[in-house]
Amino acid sequence: MNQETKTYRKGEIPGVIAINARECKGCDACKRFCPTGAITGLFGATHRVDADLCISCGQCLVNCPFGAPYETVDPVDEVAAKLADKSVTVVGIIAPAVRVAIGEPFGMPVGSLVTGKMYGAMRKAGFVILDNNFAADLTIMEEGTEFIQRARHALFGEKAEHGGEIGPLPQFTSCCPAWVRFVETNYPALIPNLSSAKSPQQMAGAVAKTYGAAQVFKVAPESVYTVGIMPCTAKKFEASRPEFQSAWHFMKEKGATAASKPYPDIDAVLTTRDLARLLKKMKINLAAENEVEGGTLFAEYTGAGTIFGNTGGVMEAALRTAWVVLTGTPLARIEFQAVRGLKGVKSAAVTLRDQKYGKEVTVKVAVVHDIRANIRPLLEDVIAGRSPYHFIEVMNCPGGCINGGGQPVCDTGSSWIGRVLPSFAWS
Amino acid sequence: MSKNDPNHEYIENPFILSRREFIAIGGIIVALLALPAVWVRSALINRNHHIQARTRGLYKDDVTSKIRLSHENPAVMKLYRDFAGKPLSPVSEELLHTKYVNRTKALA
Amino acid sequence: MTESSFILKHPLRVRVFHYILAASFLTLAVTGVMLYFKLLAEPAMNTAMQVHVVAGAVLTLDALAFFFLAFDRLILFTKRTFTFSGNDIQWFAVLGGYPQKILLHKKVAVPPMGKYNAGQKLFGICVLVGGTLLILSGWVLWTIPHAVGHGAASLAGSIHVVASWVLILFLFVHLFLGIYMWDDFKAMFGDGRIPYEDAAEKAPLWVKNDLRRLC
Repeated sequence: MNQETKTYRKGEIPGVIAINARECKGCDACKRFCPTGAITGLFGATHRVDADLCISCGQCLVNCPFGAPYETVDPVDEVAAKLADKSVTVVGIIAPAVRVAIGEPFGMPVGSLVTGKMYGAMRKAGFVILDNNFAADLTIMEEGTEFIQRARHALFGEKAEHGGEIGPLPQFTSCCPAWVRFVETNYPALIPNLSSAKSPQQMAGAVAKTYGAAQVFKVAPESVYTVGIMPCTAKKFEASRPEFQSAWHFMKEKGATAASKPYPDIDAVLTTRDLARLLKKMKINLAAENEVEGGTLFAEYTGAGTIFGNTGGVMEAALRTAWVVLTGTPLARIEFQAVRGLKGVKSAAVTLRDQKYGKEVTVKVAVVHDIRANIRPLLEDVIAGRSPYHFIEVMNCPGGCINGGGQPVCDTGSSWIGRVLPSFAWS
Repeated sequence: MSKNDPNHEYIENPFILSRREFIAIGGIIVALLALPAVWVRSALINRNHHIQARTRGLYKDDVTSKIRLSHENPAVMKLYRDFAGKPLSPVSEELLHTKYVNRTKALA
Repeated sequence: MTESSFILKHPLRVRVFHYILAASFLTLAVTGVMLYFKLLAEPAMNTAMQVHVVAGAVLTLDALAFFFLAFDRLILFTKRTFTFSGNDIQWFAVLGGYPQKILLHKKVAVPPMGKYNAGQKLFGICVLVGGTLLILSGWVLWTIPHAVGHGAASLAGSIHVVASWVLILFLFVHLFLGIYMWDDFKAMFGDGRIPYEDAAEKAPLWVKNDLRRLC
């Protein structure tokens, strides 16, 4: 890898995405998808990724007509070896967006919801299931509570319980690692506005190697091998961040781990594509599996957690819980249509009565996706103090994680061929 | 060279095609050109088909879930009861929260 | 008939179309091969791509002009190239007599042909179909590869490569025979006329059925 990079710390993967010079035709399609202008090279000439600008989102990869960009990190063989090792508990942490895409490499229609078959295939492979939707629910608890704390501090001067500093509004979500690195490299002034909550993947890793090892899997924590299974290439970068060894630190302090050297909260990340390859290598046909349950406490999730994969999903999940927690009353309508859909920037205003302070407040929220096209005006507003929003969800990829850089590359095709082609049975 | 005195004696007979043949061939050519035009237009319109299909899949998962609010997840409640206490507790802060890095400055 | 009669084989519209087609396609082929095999350094690749795009635009305009201003010739050409008979199969069996003539200096019997012999008809079909595919896929690749979705852009790329290789390889034959048949070369690149005798020998069915004597 490039030793001259300036925006990576020791231990981080500096260049998850690279471009295969043999395949690249210089057609410039990728440049139209890159949110940070990280692709260099003249039209017609071979293109290159500038690792210092790149946020590893993988949009260039899924959109290149010639398949030139590729991932430099491939843990499939390592994960297969761990699955075969009986002394290791391999925990598969499955993102919401995976369950509507993993069927595609096995011939199922685009967007098929295949949770049960996915669990079946993964358990057959030897994974123990930790559904990332469970971690998403956990993220809502932490991030939602943090938002309520920031809002009550801004509105009513409420102080933190343990006397710590309270972050400013607007609060930005922090589950998208490409977005986080985007802020860190381009808008560091907005770092305090990022939620301090980890992403669901990283929460899952930390929980799996502490509470999970002790109470759920009942194994030594150093024998737990966590695998993020994500629609996202930036998650490979995120897992390598050196601060994400919190489980080891925690257990070390308690004297609950024998390992003398730190281990990461997430050991490996497989994209949806990687998982399909792994299953095929193990001769497991997901499409033919019976539907099964997750089989662990960590496989329990709610509808709010599963919509994290869509743009607007995190915000909607947060609003559902925030409403009930703040007002103490149930929701008249569970769905928040205003934050759904593919519009670049969506906004909503939710008026509710804060039960604790007996006051009516109007929470203004925004949802941004496809940051290449939509983020800068919004961030300029926030920096200038013009932004009306209190809580902003940001997802790098157009449509959200379901269209992430790690998802199966989709031949979207045309409407009439899609309807006519199934009539011609082939394989 | 004037029109009445060309330096060639023969030209092609312009009437070797019947009107029916002319229209038939012309029609086929235009139809064959229209086909890719329709296909490209359709590809443009449907380029987000995969995004919409996967989005629908997740909202379907939500609608068919028994529990649809994060704070009602019994597994999450058990995690807090047994281990983390409550959101933003010291255990939560240590394991579930993080800090960020200004990458425009020199990194260690 | 007189010994030095001429037939106007290629009217001016047709010749102009062919000049522009030849110039732009050769440019496209050369730059295309450079791009395909990545023969140059980065700034030169950019220039090659720019030249390729401009030549492609010229070719497109040339094709559109011919379509709108010479629609009747297009129909005529299409009809001739797509009309096959047993004679054409036989022609291929002896390869039109060309290899024998050029390599062995032997004259072989060739079935009677129309204006275009069987090989030329095949090439004509390749140009009509391949050329159209190249123009369409080329515009998609240049302007909207990011907007039609991965599958369509990838397909456009494959079509572009396959069609261009078919045409480039066939072009070698076309260029060689087009120059070897010097009278035809003079006709297409000169005043459009060929001697009656040559036509009567090479394209007897055309001479018999499709011509009209002026006065």
